[in-house]
Amino acid sequence: MLTTGGRRARVVATLAVAALTLLGTRYSEDEAFPFGPMSMFAFRTEPDGRVDVASLRGIVAGSPQEVEISPATFGLRRAEVEGSMGRMAKDPTLLGELVRAREAIRPDLPRVDYLRIVQTNYLLENGQQKGFRQATVAEWRR
Amino acid sequence: MAPVSWLFAAQPRARVAALRTVAYLFVPVDVLLTTAWVADHADVPGTLYQPLYVGRLLDLPAPGPVSVRVAMVLLVVAAAVAATGRSPRLLGGAVAVLYAWWMVVAMSYGKVDHDRFAFLVLLAVLPTAGPARPGDRTADEASGWVLRCVQLAVVATYLLAAVAKFRFGGLEWATGATLSRAILRRGSFLADPLLDVPWLLVAMQWGIIAFELLSPLLLVGGRVTRWFVLFLFAFHLASFAGIGIIFLPHLVALLAFLPLERVAPAVARAVRDRAGWANWSIRGIRLRSGS
Repeated sequence: MLTTGGRRARVVATLAVAALTLLGTRYSEDEAFPFGPMSMFAFRTEPDGRVDVASLRGIVAGSPQEVEISPATFGLRRAEVEGSMGRMAKDPTLLGELVRAREAIRPDLPRVDYLRIVQTNYLLENGQQKGFRQATVAEWRR
Repeated sequence: MAPVSWLFAAQPRARVAALRTVAYLFVPVDVLLTTAWVADHADVPGTLYQPLYVGRLLDLPAPGPVSVRVAMVLLVVAAAVAATGRSPRLLGGAVAVLYAWWMVVAMSYGKVDHDRFAFLVLLAVLPTAGPARPGDRTADEASGWVLRCVQLAVVATYLLAAVAKFRFGGLEWATGATLSRAILRRGSFLADPLLDVPWLLVAMQWGIIAFELLSPLLLVGGRVTRWFVLFLFAFHLASFAGIGIIFLPHLVALLAFLPLERVAPAVARAVRDRAGWANWSIRGIRLRSGS
């Protein structure tokens, strides 16, 4: 059996977490983690709208061709690149800092001399892909 | 006071002991294997740090190479020792705090995940149960509250996901192309063919809203709960096959609905039977070779 105090403390804690979670769901955004809204796939994509995907492309030492480079080699997930893309567009030197991070995280990988963020827009019609376009969001050269 | 007694409905201590073992053993798996990218944030430039409310409220410094590595070692070691059941309050508390900070490291770089609300609740409440041995079938309120909290957090994850869809996507969320988007961005060879059948994806979106809204049925108990849990495991595995996303920490928390205390004895029995059989056959061989 729990003591009266132990019971009371648990009830208060339960109600406090429930209240924070409900408030976060209604009023806040992801930055209220872990009390923010459970917004996984919560945004509606228009069936005639578009789907954006960011990718990193660059030129690495020893290869003249531009290649796709995994965000993971920079210590980021793709969604994190997308979440920071606005800043990188304003300040492309951030891409240079990412390249330095990659040198710390994966020293075994070839040096990156040129890096750009490419945004691909897939165009939808009735929920089906009907073409795409691409644009460079930010670029950096060593 | 019916809701209060429901919140404290006694459950076997052995169930908490089993859940505790799984949860603390999962922590090193999570940190070192299944979400190993968290540790890579150590070297990401501090300029990309986008602190959460909690980071700003507590004035937490941006994660750095030293703090992340020290926390990682402490967390893995504390969890591994806590999994043995030693000092459940002290070590469990340490794991809860360290893991919470680990999540700050994970989620402060422009992308927040929603797969571990219930797991965080689980780590937070586990220490309050105190000592709980695997074989202890005694039911008590402290264990009951721990399990109920985790169950409520699991239900909240689904139910509030539906609420968020109404908030951000509107009531017409289900008629959109959200799953087309998910598959275009992350589809596997299993999911890609679905892009040609948009009506099926819309039907799946209705299905998702429906089961999220029905998630409180998990609390009914008995067969309803068991079938719902089975369905949810299937759903998360199918998501993994289709778009490579799996809510592993959440799945650990989902175990709080199952009679986990029956697993260890069943395994022990199976091992004993096998051992018995092996002894018998060894004896048989000896007898034959001796004769």
